Amino acid sequence: MSTTLGLLVIAFAALVQAAVLPSFSIFGAQPNLVLALLVAWLIVRPRREGLLLVPAAGLMIGLLDGAPLGLAMLALAPLLLMAQVRDLRLVESDLLPALVLAAVGTLVYEAIVLLTLAVTGERLDWLASVLDVLVPAAIANALLLIPIYGLMRLASLDLHGRRPAF
Amino acid sequence: MRVRTRTWFSFVVAASLLFMAASRFGIFDPLEDAVLTVTGPVESALRDATDPLADFVTNLTDINRLSNDNRSLRQANERLRVDNARLAEAERDLRQLEQLSSVRQGSENDVLVPASVFLREPGNLRDMVAIDKGTSDGVAEGMVVLTSQGSLIGSVSGVLEHVAWVTLVTDQTSAVSAMVQSSRVQGVVAGGPDGTLTMEFVEETADVKEGDVIVTSGIGGRHPQGELIGQVVEVESSPQELFKSVHVEPLADLSRLEDVLVLHSFLPLAADAP
Repeated sequence: MSTTLGLLVIAFAALVQAAVLPSFSIFGAQPNLVLALLVAWLIVRPRREGLLLVPAAGLMIGLLDGAPLGLAMLALAPLLLMAQVRDLRLVESDLLPALVLAAVGTLVYEAIVLLTLAVTGERLDWLASVLDVLVPAAIANALLLIPIYGLMRLASLDLHGRRPAF
Repeated sequence: MRVRTRTWFSFVVAASLLFMAASRFGIFDPLEDAVLTVTGPVESALRDATDPLADFVTNLTDINRLSNDNRSLRQANERLRVDNARLAEAERDLRQLEQLSSVRQGSENDVLVPASVFLREPGNLRDMVAIDKGTSDGVAEGMVVLTSQGSLIGSVSGVLEHVAWVTLVTDQTSAVSAMVQSSRVQGVVAGGPDGTLTMEFVEETADVKEGDVIVTSGIGGRHPQGELIGQVVEVESSPQELFKSVHVEPLADLSRLEDVLVLHSFLPLAADAP
């Protein structure tokens, strides 16, 4: 899997995210396929690939949503720093850090969007937004990450002819 | 590596802020318009193909909500049966039933631009849809958008050459001056983060009851008077509170919008107008 393939996968995921996922609801929240895919990529694949994919994904989402171009890129940017959790090697498996990263990454992503809305003077219900949107979205994305992580781990190791180690 | 990552992170953040600033001046509008126009048909096809699967997954994980909905619908059904029996007996009640059927009368001078919804905002915090009409069709920011039956769904919040974004009434940033059609009690219908509608600032003593029809009041000049918004489904009141909590259900199914009408003949007052 090269960075080019990653860009194509992310572009398709952004399209699916915009066209299909608004019809899906997991625990009342809409899962973020692009974010889950990025988290899996950052954990499974070499760091340098993720460095390019994160801003590229932000731009692709920005072109397909109603928010100002750059907002999704800004909201995804903290993933670049948070992905360093992989280097800490707190647990043997990479799946647990990936799950935590998906949940925390979602909270940070939605919080940045929420803050931007607040800065632009929009009327917001903070408590309801956190309880009804941020927390369910974090759970939804953590659940969505599991199959994506598994598939990416298999695909990644298949290229090297090794057995997957979850 | 960490230093490099932090440097790259700083660069990405700076670039994002630059993009957002440039976006406010419309620099990327032609690019966004082109991308949305080109990907629109693909997205519509993808959505149509996956709708049955989406229904299945949503129903599977929303059992509690469905159960509550079922209970509410049973109560609503019972209430409607009672209403129906009464309506059958009196002509006056029959006219009320016609009002509830949500067929908009409108004005003879209304100019409506038909449009199709091809995309929904992919984020969790906003409730917006994209329509296939833009400035080239005369659509402008602030214009009111209705369903093909004529009930209010929102207003245009962003417009490109061939595409416009419509902020739905259920969006948490939406607030519409409204009133109860029968008693003329006024308030503000506001969206919530979970996609619900609440009529705010309704005095505790006001005459509002379940089943009342809510229409736009026209106050503020952002919407014409008398556009249908929804129906009161629950009224919560407490002697300790100044205002009632009035829950409103939109007349239109906003989760499955396909064809809409842009009210071209009504131009809203600018927010900063005297």
